[in-house]
Amino acid sequence: MRTFIHIISLWLLTGFTANAEALQVITSTTDLAALSKAIGGEHVQVKSLTPGSRDPHYAVAKPSMIRQLHRADLLVIVGADLETGWLPALLQSARNPRAYPGQQGHLDLSTHVSLLGRAQQPVSRAMGDVHSQGNPHYWLDPANQRLMARAIKARLASLDPAHADDYRTALLNFEHTLNERMQHWKNQLANLKNQPVIAYHNSFIYLAQAFGFRIVDEIEPQPGIAPSAASLAELVSTIQRQQIALLIMEPYYERRSAQFIQQHTDIKLAVLPQSVGAKEDIKTMFELFDAIVETLTQTLKN
Amino acid sequence: MTNTILKSFLAALTACTLCVQAEQVQAETGTTAQQLETLQQQIEALQQQLNTTTSVLPVPPLASDSGHLLEIGLSSLLAVGASSVDNDALTHLQAGGHDPNQNGFTVQNVELMISATVDPYLDAQANLIFLIDAEGETVVELEEAFFTSRSLPHGLQLKGGQYYTEFGRRNAQHPHSWAFVDQPVILSRLFGGDGLRSQGTRLSWLMPTDWYSELYVGLQNAKGETVSSFLSAAGEDIAGHTLLDRSSRNFGDLLYSARWLNALDLSDTTSLNLGISGLWGPNASGLTTDTRIYGLDLYLKWQALNSQRGYPFVAWHSELLERHYEAGDATDPSHENLNDQGWFTQLLWGYTSNWVAGLRLERAYAEGDTSTDPLRDTRKRLSPNLTWYITEYSKLRLQYNRDWAQHLNEDSADSLWLQFEFNMGRHMAHTF
Repeated sequence: MRTFIHIISLWLLTGFTANAEALQVITSTTDLAALSKAIGGEHVQVKSLTPGSRDPHYAVAKPSMIRQLHRADLLVIVGADLETGWLPALLQSARNPRAYPGQQGHLDLSTHVSLLGRAQQPVSRAMGDVHSQGNPHYWLDPANQRLMARAIKARLASLDPAHADDYRTALLNFEHTLNERMQHWKNQLANLKNQPVIAYHNSFIYLAQAFGFRIVDEIEPQPGIAPSAASLAELVSTIQRQQIALLIMEPYYERRSAQFIQQHTDIKLAVLPQSVGAKEDIKTMFELFDAIVETLTQTLKN
Repeated sequence: MTNTILKSFLAALTACTLCVQAEQVQAETGTTAQQLETLQQQIEALQQQLNTTTSVLPVPPLASDSGHLLEIGLSSLLAVGASSVDNDALTHLQAGGHDPNQNGFTVQNVELMISATVDPYLDAQANLIFLIDAEGETVVELEEAFFTSRSLPHGLQLKGGQYYTEFGRRNAQHPHSWAFVDQPVILSRLFGGDGLRSQGTRLSWLMPTDWYSELYVGLQNAKGETVSSFLSAAGEDIAGHTLLDRSSRNFGDLLYSARWLNALDLSDTTSLNLGISGLWGPNASGLTTDTRIYGLDLYLKWQALNSQRGYPFVAWHSELLERHYEAGDATDPSHENLNDQGWFTQLLWGYTSNWVAGLRLERAYAEGDTSTDPLRDTRKRLSPNLTWYITEYSKLRLQYNRDWAQHLNEDSADSLWLQFEFNMGRHMAHTF
């Protein structure tokens, strides 16, 4: 019994003495984690609740996430209902009032960018998974990265004024690199301008905005609704009629539909990493867009 | 005053810098209107930030993410099926209050869930259920109505009201989240048809450990049909002992509960939950009699790193329960100790998007000669099933039950159930 008490007290002690120096930043996705790390540097300890290889709409609440949220000084989310299926229940269990919506420790980045695809009419579930507040995949426009980075910098500086200068420097560096890379990416993808493209899910409209291509249709007949034989046949005829040359999709979607379309058309398929961590070697936002641009240019070349 | 001037100055300054940057961006992309809109939102957001940093705002509701003050959802579960045994025998085999239990159609559960943040200090939830019994009568129950605290310090959380006791993993789950059409036999035996729920309060502590570890302790009323192993309802019968109208007179006559849940991420794809639970309280078979129930639960889940909509996954959930029921006062000639045990183990395999195959195996038994008692005889059940989640809001499930029960004359029974669910409004919250 005595040994048992010793073990318990030792365990409680080690638990209490967790790293209290750095700001604990918890993000809902790996993209926001990479961005927070880029701005926060050594003053923050960043962890993403979900891996970059999975669809963040369908994350599953795990007790370990409660543990992480409980300790967070700052929670950064994509917002626009992306995390609505799992985050509210987690927040309720995490009992961390700092991270509740509206608090300094809660940063919803969707309020800092201009969302596309806001519902123009009353939304019904007959339309599939429509986000009435706008399309939440906005991190795929590099211009939004700038706005997101600024919002993160402002929040970090207000939570930790002692290091505000460092955050400002990091932001300047980030924006500088972004400007440089942006020019490079645009040059690389100049051929894509005004080209019609098919996507799997309604998730690349910001990428299309950034590089000037047009998404004319999706494999999913409605957002989140699986394609049927009839809807695929219709898509095949659209592709043939409009001579669409490119199909883009995330790595986590099934490939059968794309293969079917490729059997019946000459369309080229580009499987694009949609997030940091979608492939192991993608660790920063720059590497993410590098990989996207590289995949697109290689696909178009072949 | 200086504050206001400072704020306007800052806002103007930010606006200016943003304008300058905007001109560059504009020249670059040529999408004027959009950039202006972005700028406007930026300024608004910055002003908002200035406001929040200078004044203390109350904690707004969790639901403010989607702009609703009240979350309302309605979930309907219907079943149709047939069995090799008649409806009388089925009521014993399918003893759960939401189990499909008759040849033909069953309205298993129509559940209205309302949840909201009450104020900066409390969240609350209420679940009203409607079902249609075998006589065609509509039954309404207040399944749950409770609050949880939002801002207690040191990882503490207080819950109060009418709620499912946090015992094991399965007891507190609503029919909407069940992986099978019916509830495990041992739960129906120890906790009655509706699961263990009662009025009371519990405190939980999220321990300051590196992994997830939470301790729950609770105090609830021991009386009522939904506390069937304890004071239950007068006139009910257990192993030939008729329950008295015994009421609580002091704190010793309440139901005490404790649960310790631990969870570990074994890898990026696998997580493990391990729980141990206990219940202590009086029972109404005598004036001084007590019941103790213990349980162990395990939940292991694997989910592919590259999963689409959460698939593929494998989830293994098992629970072991044990009841010690002191029947009759010590002075009573019929005094005896009733010991019941049971377990279930179920494996779910989400093998492709929206399709889940499941297999459940269970056993329930008791000490002594109990072969004619449908609630204490030796029972085994094997249940394979297949679920198709048509969308996030509707599903179709086919389940086959093979039952072996001592109290049945022909010894075994075969049943086939088809279940359909549709949900309206807010998606029911799934906890882990």
